[in-house]
Amino acid sequence: MAIIFKLENVSVSFDKHAIVQRSLKHALSGWFRPHNRTTFYALSKVSVAIHAGDHVGLIGRNGAGKSTLLRVLTKVITPQEGLVSLCPDRHIAPLLELGLGFHPDLSGRENCFLAGALMGYSATEIHRKIDGIIRFAELEEFIDEPVKNYSSGMFGRLAFALATDIEPEVLLVDEVFGVGDEFFMRKCIVRMQRLMQAGITTVFVSHNVDFLVAQCNRMIWLDKGHIEMDGKPREVVAAYRNAYNTLG
Amino acid sequence: MDVASRRFLWLYAKSQLKLKYRDTYLGFAWNFVEPALYLGMLSLIFSAVNRMNIHDYTVFLFGALIPWRYFENVVSGATESIVSGSWLLKKMYVSPLVFPLIRWLVASLEFLFSFTVVLLLLVFMKERWTVHLCILPFSIIPWAMLSLGIGLICAVLFTFFRDVRPIVHMVMMFTFFSSPILFKIDFFEGHTLQALVLKFHPMTYYASLFQKPIYYASWPSALDWGITLGISAAVVIVGCCLVHKCQGRFYFFL
Repeated sequence: MAIIFKLENVSVSFDKHAIVQRSLKHALSGWFRPHNRTTFYALSKVSVAIHAGDHVGLIGRNGAGKSTLLRVLTKVITPQEGLVSLCPDRHIAPLLELGLGFHPDLSGRENCFLAGALMGYSATEIHRKIDGIIRFAELEEFIDEPVKNYSSGMFGRLAFALATDIEPEVLLVDEVFGVGDEFFMRKCIVRMQRLMQAGITTVFVSHNVDFLVAQCNRMIWLDKGHIEMDGKPREVVAAYRNAYNTLG
Repeated sequence: MDVASRRFLWLYAKSQLKLKYRDTYLGFAWNFVEPALYLGMLSLIFSAVNRMNIHDYTVFLFGALIPWRYFENVVSGATESIVSGSWLLKKMYVSPLVFPLIRWLVASLEFLFSFTVVLLLLVFMKERWTVHLCILPFSIIPWAMLSLGIGLICAVLFTFFRDVRPIVHMVMMFTFFSSPILFKIDFFEGHTLQALVLKFHPMTYYASLFQKPIYYASWPSALDWGITLGISAAVVIVGCCLVHKCQGRFYFFL
Protein backbone atom coordinates (compact mmCIF):
# COMPACT_ATOMS: atom_id res chain seq x y z
CA MET A 1 0.00 0.00 0.00
CA ALA A 2 1.20 3.52 -0.79
CA ILE A 3 2.98 5.35 2.00
CA ILE A 4 1.23 8.63 2.85
CA PHE A 5 3.60 9.85 5.59
CA LYS A 6 7.08 8.63 6.40
CA LEU A 7 9.05 10.04 9.30
CA GLU A 8 12.64 9.02 9.92
CA ASN A 9 14.39 9.99 13.17
CA VAL A 10 12.31 13.13 13.47
CA SER A 11 12.99 15.42 16.43
CA VAL A 12 11.20 18.64 17.34
CA SER A 13 12.52 20.75 20.18
CA PHE A 14 11.44 24.01 21.77
CA ASP A 15 13.72 26.39 23.62
CA LYS A 16 12.46 27.10 27.10
CA HIS A 17 12.14 30.78 28.15
CA ALA A 18 11.55 31.64 24.50
CA ILE A 19 9.84 34.95 25.38
CA VAL A 20 13.06 36.40 26.84
CA GLN A 21 14.93 35.27 23.74
CA ARG A 22 12.80 37.35 21.40
CA SER A 23 14.69 40.57 22.06
CA LEU A 24 17.56 42.08 20.17
CA LYS A 25 19.33 42.68 23.50
CA HIS A 26 19.25 38.96 24.23
CA ALA A 27 20.51 38.08 20.74
CA LEU A 28 23.33 40.62 20.86
CA SER A 29 24.43 39.63 24.38
CA GLY A 30 24.60 36.02 23.12
CA TRP A 31 27.39 37.00 20.74
CA PHE A 32 29.66 37.92 23.64
CA ARG A 33 28.52 35.43 26.28
CA PRO A 34 26.74 32.28 25.03
CA HIS A 35 23.45 31.66 26.85
CA ASN A 36 22.66 28.42 28.64
CA ARG A 37 19.85 27.01 26.55
CA THR A 38 17.38 24.59 28.02
CA THR A 39 15.65 22.59 25.35
CA PHE A 40 12.46 20.61 25.60
CA TYR A 41 12.06 17.76 23.11
CA ALA A 42 8.42 17.42 22.04
CA LEU A 43 9.43 14.63 19.65
CA SER A 44 12.65 12.72 19.87
CA LYS A 45 13.95 10.47 17.08
CA VAL A 46 10.48 9.39 15.95
CA SER A 47 10.30 7.03 12.97
CA VAL A 48 6.93 5.99 11.62
CA ALA A 49 5.23 5.24 8.30
CA ILE A 50 1.51 5.66 7.71
CA HIS A 51 0.01 3.88 4.72
CA ALA A 52 -3.02 4.71 2.59
CA GLY A 53 -6.18 3.42 4.28
CA ASP A 54 -4.64 3.31 7.77
CA HIS A 55 -6.80 4.57 10.63
CA VAL A 56 -4.27 5.52 13.25
CA GLY A 57 -5.03 6.58 16.80
CA LEU A 58 -2.41 8.53 18.74
CA ILE A 59 -2.58 8.14 22.51
CA GLY A 60 -0.42 9.36 25.33
CA ARG A 61 -0.54 11.64 28.34
CA ASN A 62 -0.54 15.44 28.11
CA GLY A 63 2.75 16.67 26.64
CA ALA A 64 3.57 13.28 25.10
CA GLY A 65 4.00 14.85 21.64
CA LYS A 66 0.73 13.79 19.96
CA SER A 67 -0.30 17.24 18.70
CA THR A 68 3.28 18.03 17.69
CA LEU A 69 3.35 14.85 15.62
CA LEU A 70 0.12 15.88 13.86
CA ARG A 71 1.62 19.30 13.14
CA VAL A 72 4.68 17.67 11.62
CA LEU A 73 2.44 15.54 9.40
CA THR A 74 0.58 18.66 8.22
CA LYS A 75 3.87 20.53 7.57
CA VAL A 76 2.87 23.20 10.09
CA ILE A 77 6.03 22.35 12.05
CA THR A 78 9.33 21.72 10.29
CA PRO A 79 11.37 19.40 12.53
CA GLN A 80 14.90 20.43 13.44
CA GLU A 81 16.19 16.91 12.81
CA GLY A 82 15.14 13.97 10.69
CA LEU A 83 13.40 13.41 7.42
CA VAL A 84 9.70 13.83 6.62
CA SER A 85 8.33 12.45 3.36
CA LEU A 86 4.77 13.28 2.42
CA CYS A 87 2.91 11.77 -0.48
CA PRO A 88 2.33 14.70 -2.84
CA ASP A 89 -0.97 15.72 -4.46
CA ARG A 90 -3.17 14.39 -1.67
CA HIS A 91 -5.95 16.50 -0.24
CA ILE A 92 -5.10 16.67 3.45
CA ALA A 93 -7.65 18.12 5.87
CA PRO A 94 -6.11 19.02 9.24
CA LEU A 95 -8.49 19.57 12.15
CA LEU A 96 -6.07 20.74 14.80
CA GLU A 97 -7.21 22.07 18.18
CA LEU A 98 -10.93 22.14 17.46
CA GLY A 99 -10.77 23.87 14.12
CA LEU A 100 -9.08 24.87 10.94
CA GLY A 101 -7.20 28.11 10.42
CA PHE A 102 -10.17 30.49 10.56
CA HIS A 103 -9.67 34.26 10.52
CA PRO A 104 -11.77 35.74 13.35
CA ASP A 105 -12.89 38.84 11.41
CA LEU A 106 -14.05 36.98 8.31
CA SER A 107 -17.43 35.30 7.98
CA GLY A 108 -17.95 31.56 8.17
CA ARG A 109 -18.55 31.47 4.41
CA GLU A 110 -15.34 33.40 3.59
CA ASN A 111 -13.36 31.18 5.94
CA CYS A 112 -14.69 28.09 4.14
CA PHE A 113 -13.23 29.36 0.86
CA LEU A 114 -9.88 30.26 2.46
CA ALA A 115 -9.44 27.01 4.36
CA GLY A 116 -10.73 25.07 1.33
CA ALA A 117 -8.06 26.71 -0.84
CA LEU A 118 -5.38 25.58 1.62
CA MET A 119 -6.68 22.03 1.50
CA GLY A 120 -6.14 22.11 -2.26
CA TYR A 121 -9.63 22.93 -3.53
CA SER A 122 -10.55 25.63 -6.02
CA ALA A 123 -13.21 28.26 -5.35
CA THR A 124 -15.50 26.48 -7.87
CA GLU A 125 -15.25 23.20 -5.95
CA ILE A 126 -16.04 24.93 -2.65
CA HIS A 127 -18.96 26.78 -4.33
CA ARG A 128 -20.39 23.41 -5.26
CA LYS A 129 -20.07 22.09 -1.71
CA ILE A 130 -20.84 25.15 0.39
CA ASP A 131 -24.59 24.56 0.83
CA GLY A 132 -23.97 21.03 2.10
CA ILE A 133 -21.29 22.29 4.48
CA ILE A 134 -23.58 24.97 5.93
CA ARG A 135 -26.45 22.50 6.28
CA PHE A 136 -24.30 19.89 8.04
CA ALA A 137 -22.84 22.51 10.40
CA GLU A 138 -26.41 23.77 11.12
CA LEU A 139 -25.22 27.35 10.63
CA GLU A 140 -27.68 28.61 8.01
CA GLU A 141 -28.51 31.72 10.07
CA PHE A 142 -24.94 32.56 11.06
CA ILE A 143 -22.79 31.66 8.07
CA ASP A 144 -22.31 35.30 7.06
CA GLU A 145 -21.41 36.42 10.60
CA PRO A 146 -17.72 36.89 11.52
CA VAL A 147 -16.49 33.69 13.17
CA LYS A 148 -15.25 35.69 16.17
CA ASN A 149 -18.94 35.84 17.19
CA TYR A 150 -19.29 32.04 17.03
CA SER A 151 -19.37 29.87 20.10
CA SER A 152 -16.69 27.19 20.31
CA GLY A 153 -19.35 24.64 19.30
CA MET A 154 -20.29 26.58 16.16
CA PHE A 155 -16.63 27.05 15.31
CA GLY A 156 -15.89 23.35 15.67
CA ARG A 157 -19.02 22.34 13.74
CA LEU A 158 -18.12 24.48 10.78
CA ALA A 159 -14.52 23.23 10.76
CA PHE A 160 -15.64 19.61 10.95
CA ALA A 161 -18.32 20.04 8.27
CA LEU A 162 -15.83 21.68 5.89
CA ALA A 163 -13.02 19.20 6.51
CA THR A 164 -15.24 16.19 5.96
CA ASP A 165 -17.68 17.42 3.29
CA ILE A 166 -14.89 18.08 0.81
CA GLU A 167 -14.04 14.37 1.04
CA PRO A 168 -10.33 14.60 1.73
CA GLU A 169 -7.94 11.75 1.08
CA VAL A 170 -6.22 12.22 4.43
CA LEU A 171 -7.91 13.52 7.57
CA LEU A 172 -5.93 14.51 10.65
CA VAL A 173 -8.04 15.13 13.72
CA ASP A 174 -6.93 16.53 17.06
CA GLU A 175 -9.61 16.17 19.76
CA VAL A 176 -12.36 17.53 17.54
CA PHE A 177 -15.13 15.43 19.04
CA GLY A 178 -15.17 17.53 22.18
CA VAL A 179 -17.28 20.19 20.49
CA GLY A 180 -20.93 20.30 19.63
CA ASP A 181 -23.78 18.72 21.50
CA GLU A 182 -24.49 15.02 21.83
CA PHE A 183 -26.59 14.94 18.64
CA PHE A 184 -24.02 16.70 16.53
CA MET A 185 -21.31 14.42 17.88
CA ARG A 186 -23.34 11.42 16.76
CA LYS A 187 -23.69 12.97 13.29
CA CYS A 188 -19.91 13.50 13.19
CA ILE A 189 -19.15 9.91 14.12
CA VAL A 190 -21.51 8.58 11.42
CA ARG A 191 -19.85 10.79 8.83
CA MET A 192 -16.38 9.78 10.00
CA GLN A 193 -17.27 6.10 9.74
CA ARG A 194 -18.63 6.63 6.22
CA LEU A 195 -15.39 8.37 5.17
CA MET A 196 -13.27 5.66 6.74
CA GLN A 197 -15.22 2.94 4.95
CA ALA A 198 -14.69 4.87 1.72
CA GLY A 199 -10.97 4.33 2.21
CA ILE A 200 -9.54 7.66 3.37
CA THR A 201 -6.52 7.70 5.66
CA THR A 202 -7.14 9.07 9.14
CA VAL A 203 -4.97 9.99 12.08
CA PHE A 204 -6.78 10.78 15.34
CA VAL A 205 -5.50 12.31 18.52
CA SER A 206 -7.85 11.81 21.41
CA HIS A 207 -7.98 11.10 25.10
CA ASN A 208 -11.16 9.13 24.45
CA VAL A 209 -9.30 5.85 24.16
CA ASP A 210 -12.45 3.72 23.79
CA PHE A 211 -13.50 5.78 20.76
CA LEU A 212 -10.08 5.23 19.19
CA VAL A 213 -10.20 1.48 19.81
CA ALA A 214 -13.60 1.33 18.11
CA GLN A 215 -12.55 3.38 15.05
CA CYS A 216 -8.87 2.68 14.40
CA ASN A 217 -6.98 -0.29 13.00
CA ARG A 218 -3.65 0.87 14.41
CA MET A 219 -2.64 2.60 17.61
CA ILE A 220 0.53 4.52 18.48
CA TRP A 221 1.33 5.28 22.10
CA LEU A 222 3.58 8.27 22.57
CA ASP A 223 5.40 9.07 25.77
CA LYS A 224 7.73 12.05 26.32
CA GLY A 225 8.31 12.46 22.60
CA HIS A 226 9.10 8.77 21.94
CA ILE A 227 7.01 6.07 20.36
CA GLU A 228 6.44 3.70 23.25
CA MET A 229 4.37 1.19 21.30
CA ASP A 230 2.89 0.84 17.81
CA GLY A 231 0.47 -1.97 17.02
CA LYS A 232 -3.06 -3.30 17.27
CA PRO A 233 -5.39 -0.94 19.15
CA ARG A 234 -6.47 -3.31 21.91
CA GLU A 235 -2.92 -4.45 22.71
CA VAL A 236 -1.49 -0.93 22.75
CA VAL A 237 -4.33 0.42 24.90
CA ALA A 238 -3.97 -2.47 27.35
CA ALA A 239 -0.25 -1.77 27.73
CA TYR A 240 -0.88 2.00 28.03
CA ARG A 241 -3.50 1.57 30.73
CA ASN A 242 -1.43 -0.99 32.53
CA ALA A 243 1.60 1.32 32.62
CA TYR A 244 -0.26 4.22 34.17
CA ASN A 245 -2.50 2.17 36.44
CA THR A 246 0.65 0.62 37.93
CA LEU A 247 2.10 4.10 38.49
CA GLY A 248 -1.12 5.45 40.03
CA MET B 1 5.10 28.81 -3.59
CA ASP B 2 2.67 25.88 -3.89
CA VAL B 3 -0.70 26.05 -5.70
CA ALA B 4 -2.75 26.03 -2.49
CA SER B 5 -0.80 29.00 -1.06
CA ARG B 6 -1.22 30.90 -4.34
CA ARG B 7 -5.00 30.31 -4.31
CA PHE B 8 -5.14 31.39 -0.69
CA LEU B 9 -3.11 34.52 -1.49
CA TRP B 10 -5.68 35.84 -3.99
CA LEU B 11 -8.69 34.95 -1.89
CA TYR B 12 -7.23 36.43 1.28
CA ALA B 13 -6.07 39.62 -0.48
CA LYS B 14 -9.64 40.12 -1.73
CA SER B 15 -11.01 39.49 1.77
CA GLN B 16 -8.56 42.01 3.24
CA LEU B 17 -9.74 44.68 0.81
CA LYS B 18 -13.36 44.02 1.71
CA LEU B 19 -12.59 43.81 5.41
CA LYS B 20 -10.82 47.16 5.49
CA TYR B 21 -13.95 49.21 4.89
CA ARG B 22 -16.58 46.65 5.92
CA ASP B 23 -17.98 48.59 8.86
CA THR B 24 -17.73 52.07 7.31
CA TYR B 25 -20.54 54.11 5.73
CA LEU B 26 -18.51 55.20 2.71
CA GLY B 27 -17.13 51.72 2.11
CA PHE B 28 -15.07 51.36 -1.07
CA ALA B 29 -15.22 55.13 -1.69
CA TRP B 30 -12.70 55.59 1.15
CA ASN B 31 -10.04 54.37 -1.28
CA PHE B 32 -10.47 57.69 -3.09
CA VAL B 33 -11.72 59.97 -0.31
CA GLU B 34 -8.85 59.23 2.08
CA PRO B 35 -5.97 60.08 -0.31
CA ALA B 36 -7.93 63.10 -1.60
CA LEU B 37 -8.29 64.47 1.95
CA TYR B 38 -4.67 63.68 2.79
CA LEU B 39 -3.28 65.33 -0.30
CA GLY B 40 -5.69 68.26 -0.11
CA MET B 41 -4.63 68.95 3.45
CA LEU B 42 -0.94 68.61 2.64
CA SER B 43 -1.16 70.96 -0.32
CA LEU B 44 -2.95 73.56 1.83
CA ILE B 45 -0.42 73.31 4.66
CA PHE B 46 2.69 73.27 2.48
CA SER B 47 1.47 76.06 0.24
CA ALA B 48 0.99 78.19 3.36
CA VAL B 49 4.32 77.38 5.03
CA ASN B 50 6.46 76.88 1.94
CA ARG B 51 9.64 78.89 2.52
CA MET B 52 11.70 77.17 -0.16
CA ASN B 53 10.53 79.30 -3.04
CA ILE B 54 9.70 76.25 -5.10
CA HIS B 55 7.35 77.12 -7.89
CA ASP B 56 4.29 74.89 -8.00
CA TYR B 57 5.32 73.27 -4.72
CA THR B 58 2.26 71.01 -4.43
CA VAL B 59 2.98 69.39 -7.79
CA PHE B 60 6.61 68.87 -6.71
CA LEU B 61 5.55 67.43 -3.35
CA PHE B 62 3.01 64.96 -4.78
CA GLY B 63 5.64 63.66 -7.21
CA ALA B 64 7.63 61.60 -4.70
CA LEU B 65 5.31 61.66 -1.70
CA ILE B 66 2.76 59.29 -3.24
CA PRO B 67 5.24 56.48 -4.01
CA TRP B 68 6.91 57.09 -0.62
CA ARG B 69 3.56 56.67 1.10
CA TYR B 70 3.10 53.41 -0.77
CA PHE B 71 6.57 52.24 0.27
CA GLU B 72 5.92 53.16 3.91
CA ASN B 73 2.51 51.47 3.82
CA VAL B 74 3.97 48.19 2.52
CA VAL B 75 6.93 48.13 4.91
CA SER B 76 4.95 48.95 8.06
CA GLY B 77 2.23 46.44 7.15
CA ALA B 78 4.58 43.68 6.05
CA THR B 79 6.80 43.98 9.13
CA GLU B 80 4.17 42.44 11.41
CA SER B 81 2.53 40.31 8.75
CA ILE B 82 4.11 36.93 9.54
CA VAL B 83 3.53 37.32 13.28
CA SER B 84 -0.07 38.41 12.77
CA GLY B 85 -0.54 35.43 10.43
CA SER B 86 -0.08 33.08 13.39
CA TRP B 87 -3.87 32.43 13.41
CA LEU B 88 -3.19 30.31 10.32
CA LEU B 89 0.51 29.47 10.41
CA LYS B 90 -0.01 27.50 13.63
CA LYS B 91 -2.95 25.52 12.27
CA MET B 92 -2.52 24.80 8.56
CA TYR B 93 0.37 24.72 6.15
CA VAL B 94 0.69 27.87 4.08
CA SER B 95 3.83 29.43 2.67
CA PRO B 96 4.81 32.26 5.07
CA LEU B 97 5.67 34.34 2.01
CA VAL B 98 1.92 34.78 1.56
CA PHE B 99 1.47 37.26 4.43
CA PRO B 100 3.98 39.96 3.39
CA LEU B 101 2.84 39.43 -0.22
CA ILE B 102 -0.78 40.14 0.73
CA ARG B 103 0.22 43.41 2.41
CA TRP B 104 2.16 44.29 -0.72
CA LEU B 105 -0.74 43.44 -3.05
CA VAL B 106 -3.30 45.37 -1.01
CA ALA B 107 -1.01 48.41 -0.67
CA SER B 108 -0.27 48.29 -4.42
CA LEU B 109 -3.97 48.45 -5.17
CA GLU B 110 -4.40 51.31 -2.70
CA PHE B 111 -1.52 53.08 -4.44
CA LEU B 112 -3.41 52.83 -7.74
CA PHE B 113 -6.43 54.51 -6.15
CA SER B 114 -4.23 57.22 -4.60
CA PHE B 115 -2.48 57.81 -7.87
CA THR B 116 -5.80 58.19 -9.69
CA VAL B 117 -6.68 60.87 -7.14
CA VAL B 118 -3.31 62.58 -7.70
CA LEU B 119 -3.85 62.70 -11.44
CA LEU B 120 -7.29 64.23 -10.89
CA LEU B 121 -5.84 66.84 -8.53
CA LEU B 122 -3.01 67.59 -10.95
CA VAL B 123 -5.59 68.47 -13.61
CA PHE B 124 -6.35 71.53 -11.50
CA MET B 125 -2.82 72.22 -10.25
CA LYS B 126 -0.39 71.40 -13.02
CA GLU B 127 0.12 74.08 -15.63
CA ARG B 128 1.96 72.06 -18.25
CA TRP B 129 1.26 68.46 -19.24
CA THR B 130 4.04 66.74 -21.16
CA VAL B 131 4.62 63.36 -22.80
CA HIS B 132 7.02 62.43 -19.96
CA LEU B 133 4.08 61.51 -17.76
CA CYS B 134 3.57 58.33 -19.78
CA ILE B 135 6.67 56.82 -18.09
CA LEU B 136 4.94 56.82 -14.67
CA PRO B 137 3.51 53.26 -14.87
CA PHE B 138 7.12 52.07 -15.24
CA SER B 139 8.43 54.40 -12.54
CA ILE B 140 6.49 52.50 -9.90
CA ILE B 141 8.20 49.18 -10.72
CA PRO B 142 11.45 49.84 -8.78
CA TRP B 143 9.41 51.26 -5.88
CA ALA B 144 7.17 48.18 -5.83
CA MET B 145 10.17 45.84 -5.86
CA LEU B 146 11.94 47.80 -3.14
CA SER B 147 8.81 47.81 -0.95
CA LEU B 148 8.37 44.07 -1.33
CA GLY B 149 12.03 43.29 -0.63
CA ILE B 150 12.32 45.53 2.45
CA GLY B 151 8.90 44.29 3.62
CA LEU B 152 10.07 40.67 3.43
CA ILE B 153 13.31 41.40 5.28
CA CYS B 154 11.51 43.34 8.04
CA ALA B 155 8.84 40.62 8.37
CA VAL B 156 11.52 37.96 8.98
CA LEU B 157 13.48 40.15 11.41
CA PHE B 158 10.35 41.12 13.35
CA THR B 159 9.38 37.46 13.77
CA PHE B 160 12.64 36.75 15.55
CA PHE B 161 13.26 40.13 17.22
CA ARG B 162 10.22 42.15 18.28
CA ASP B 163 12.45 45.22 18.87
CA VAL B 164 12.62 45.64 15.12
CA ARG B 165 9.32 47.55 14.78
CA PRO B 166 10.40 50.86 16.42
CA ILE B 167 13.78 50.60 14.69
CA VAL B 168 12.05 50.26 11.30
CA HIS B 169 9.91 53.33 12.07
CA MET B 170 12.99 55.36 13.02
CA VAL B 171 14.90 54.33 9.91
CA MET B 172 11.90 55.14 7.70
CA MET B 173 11.52 58.54 9.30
CA PHE B 174 15.22 59.31 8.92
CA THR B 175 15.19 58.18 5.28
CA PHE B 176 12.16 60.35 4.55
CA PHE B 177 13.52 63.54 6.06
CA SER B 178 17.01 63.06 4.64
CA SER B 179 15.82 62.47 1.09
CA PRO B 180 14.70 65.00 -1.53
CA ILE B 181 11.00 64.26 -1.18
CA LEU B 182 10.07 67.45 0.66
CA PHE B 183 12.77 69.67 -0.89
CA LYS B 184 14.66 70.00 -4.15
CA ILE B 185 18.12 68.54 -4.49
CA ASP B 186 19.61 71.92 -5.52
CA PHE B 187 18.33 73.46 -2.29
CA PHE B 188 21.83 72.97 -0.81
CA GLU B 189 25.10 74.46 -2.10
CA GLY B 190 27.18 72.09 -4.26
CA HIS B 191 29.99 71.33 -1.75
CA THR B 192 28.06 71.11 1.47
CA LEU B 193 27.69 67.90 3.45
CA GLN B 194 23.94 67.86 2.81
CA ALA B 195 24.46 68.02 -0.96
CA LEU B 196 26.95 65.15 -0.72
CA VAL B 197 24.54 63.05 1.37
CA LEU B 198 21.77 63.64 -1.16
CA LYS B 199 24.05 62.66 -4.02
CA PHE B 200 24.64 59.23 -2.48
CA HIS B 201 21.17 58.86 -0.99
CA PRO B 202 19.40 56.01 -2.82
CA MET B 203 16.02 57.76 -2.33
CA THR B 204 17.27 60.60 -4.54
CA TYR B 205 17.21 58.24 -7.50
CA TYR B 206 13.89 56.66 -6.52
CA ALA B 207 12.32 60.12 -6.12
CA SER B 208 13.67 61.17 -9.54
CA LEU B 209 11.60 58.46 -11.22
CA PHE B 210 8.48 60.43 -10.32
CA GLN B 211 9.74 63.99 -9.83
CA LYS B 212 11.40 64.25 -13.21
CA PRO B 213 8.34 63.38 -15.35
CA ILE B 214 5.81 65.11 -13.08
CA TYR B 215 7.65 68.28 -12.03
CA TYR B 216 10.70 68.79 -14.24
CA ALA B 217 9.04 67.56 -17.47
CA SER B 218 12.01 65.31 -18.28
CA TRP B 219 12.78 61.61 -18.53
CA PRO B 220 14.45 59.79 -15.60
CA SER B 221 18.13 59.19 -16.48
CA ALA B 222 19.75 55.81 -17.18
CA LEU B 223 21.56 56.22 -13.84
CA ASP B 224 18.20 56.62 -12.04
CA TRP B 225 16.90 53.41 -13.63
CA GLY B 226 20.16 51.50 -13.14
CA ILE B 227 20.58 52.33 -9.46
CA THR B 228 16.93 51.86 -8.51
CA LEU B 229 16.39 48.62 -10.42
CA GLY B 230 19.73 47.22 -9.18
CA ILE B 231 19.01 47.99 -5.52
CA SER B 232 15.41 46.79 -5.78
CA ALA B 233 16.29 43.48 -7.44
CA ALA B 234 19.00 42.81 -4.85
CA VAL B 235 16.64 43.58 -1.97
CA VAL B 236 13.87 41.32 -3.37
CA ILE B 237 16.33 38.45 -3.79
CA VAL B 238 17.68 38.89 -0.25
CA GLY B 239 14.11 39.07 1.12
CA CYS B 240 12.94 35.91 -0.68
CA CYS B 241 16.07 33.97 0.32
CA LEU B 242 15.65 35.06 3.94
CA VAL B 243 12.01 33.88 4.08
CA HIS B 244 12.94 30.62 2.39
CA LYS B 245 15.87 29.99 4.72
CA CYS B 246 14.01 30.84 7.93
CA GLN B 247 10.51 29.50 7.20
CA GLY B 248 11.04 26.30 9.16
CA ARG B 249 11.83 28.30 12.32
CA PHE B 250 8.90 30.74 12.24
CA TYR B 251 6.51 28.41 14.09
CA PHE B 252 8.69 28.45 17.20
CA PHE B 253 8.62 32.26 17.38
CA LEU B 254 4.91 32.90 16.75
